[in-house]
Amino acid sequence: MTTELPLLEIKTVFKAFGGVQALSDITFSLNPGSITGLIGPNGAGKTTLFNLISGVFPVDKGKIVFSGTGIKNKKPHTLVDIGISRTFQNVELFESMTVLENILVGQHTRTRCGMWGSILRFPWVAGEEKKAHQFAMELLDFVGLNGHADKTSGDLPFGWQRLLEIARALASRPKLLLLDEPAAGLNIVETMQLGDLIKKIREQGVTVLLVEHDMSLTMEISDWIVVLDQGEKIAQGTPRTVQADEKVIAAYLGTAGKKTED
Amino acid sequence: MNNHQTRNRICYAVFSLLIILAGYTIENPYYIQVLTFIGINTLLALGLNMLMGYAGQISLGHAAFFGIGAYGTAILTVHYNLSPWLALPAAIAAAMIVAYIVGIPTLKLSGYYLGMGTLGFGMIVNILFREWSSVTGGASGFIGIPTLELGPVSFSSGRNYFFLVWGFVLTSFIICQRIIDSRIGRALRAIHDGEKAASAVGVDTRKLKLQVFVLSAAFSALAGFLYAHLVFFISPGTFSFIASIRMVTMVVIGGMASIWGSLLGASLLTLLPEWLHAFSEFEMVVYGLILMIVMIFLPRGLTRGLLDIYERANKKNDH
Repeated sequence: MTTELPLLEIKTVFKAFGGVQALSDITFSLNPGSITGLIGPNGAGKTTLFNLISGVFPVDKGKIVFSGTGIKNKKPHTLVDIGISRTFQNVELFESMTVLENILVGQHTRTRCGMWGSILRFPWVAGEEKKAHQFAMELLDFVGLNGHADKTSGDLPFGWQRLLEIARALASRPKLLLLDEPAAGLNIVETMQLGDLIKKIREQGVTVLLVEHDMSLTMEISDWIVVLDQGEKIAQGTPRTVQADEKVIAAYLGTAGKKTED
Repeated sequence: MNNHQTRNRICYAVFSLLIILAGYTIENPYYIQVLTFIGINTLLALGLNMLMGYAGQISLGHAAFFGIGAYGTAILTVHYNLSPWLALPAAIAAAMIVAYIVGIPTLKLSGYYLGMGTLGFGMIVNILFREWSSVTGGASGFIGIPTLELGPVSFSSGRNYFFLVWGFVLTSFIICQRIIDSRIGRALRAIHDGEKAASAVGVDTRKLKLQVFVLSAAFSALAGFLYAHLVFFISPGTFSFIASIRMVTMVVIGGMASIWGSLLGASLLTLLPEWLHAFSEFEMVVYGLILMIVMIFLPRGLTRGLLDIYERANKKNDH
């Protein structure tokens, strides 16, 4: 891989909640167009790191740099505007709204119509709406939910809700997509399809950071793996080297050290 | 989407026709008066529904904005001899500014805490109306609010006032419908469904909640203006805590997140006390009982509840 400027840099990041050190001295970076898997046992600090990158909590110490600019004190909605988008572990859709409307809300930062625009219906508003609809339909097609645009999102089967949440995150045309355990609750077939979808997303030029417990999925699709344990980074590297790393094996399996097969 | 728009256009056309028809055919001045009150209450319910029903933010202090609209126009027209048509935008602007200032800290709260915060605000404003006697007339009220006139047209007659109020209601319905069907409306409903997710998709939730709070205050102030020039006399009791609760009840009974629900809720809560006069001292008991029954059997409000019943009946017919 050529040495490009990284899209996201995590520089010696610390975060504590009360007396608990959730993250300490975390450093790594994401190359543009890569898929990076963030793994670690429960309580390793993966979701905390996600929440720092997406602006839910501020960083205590250290720096997170996106596309060359620090994201300190930026609110979640501003980060969406500059190109960071995310999904949630437990799927957070707007359940009373239709599938289409969910994706339209996803385009909030890429559309401009405000209070006055909506009341006075300026001529450009209709054009903007039409474009937003078209893009929403393209996205539904992209994730394989075409034909379900007018269904209430809360009524969809769980696997489809995941796909819709990913489509909604893509609606803001992100440069970086954060996926928080996208395979949780999916069956084997759905997980395989999800893997293909994530690779397809990367082909669109979107960099992906993925927290995932499904090892076979993570190892298959990721170019790079970062391993956290108890708030510290214990390893990073290609899937192959990380799987062979003794510290990683110890963290996952205790000191017994039973080696996982490829 | 286009279907939705056509259906809306038809709804509003029928609604306008009904208003005109009612205004010209109803002769009994009492009925006209009751319908005018329904219109004013509809404006109150509609504004609060934008905040509560759509954005999911409760307010137990909205009578304050109703009062600012009424006292605003009373003070400006009587003490300062201002034309009511200049007092109207001034009173609305005053309510909006107060909503903006109060909204910044209050809307950081959510759920019960937001309820308590707005409740406190409503009480403070009500005490102001009651105690600032030199300006508001104090507990004994404010008298001598002038009749509305527009060129040769005087709104002293019941019929003219009816048309004025319902003209405002129709305009407000269209304004709210347009907001709901837009990018802003979608973002409001997104906040209702999940504030965390809304901000994660790029909605500035704080700014938008503040905007809709200010908007709903404007509708309440408009209702206050219309109320003051209809009855010519206002007193603090009309804008008390009870009035705020009545507004919330109208929204909940009529149907949250429903424009037509605001009309239904306002109608029911205006008409019930009129119908229940027959029960004299038991009036409040029967009133409370009816509200309880509606909430037990139609917990999602009249609009949704009646639609559900209709849909269920349709399904039965299919089988």
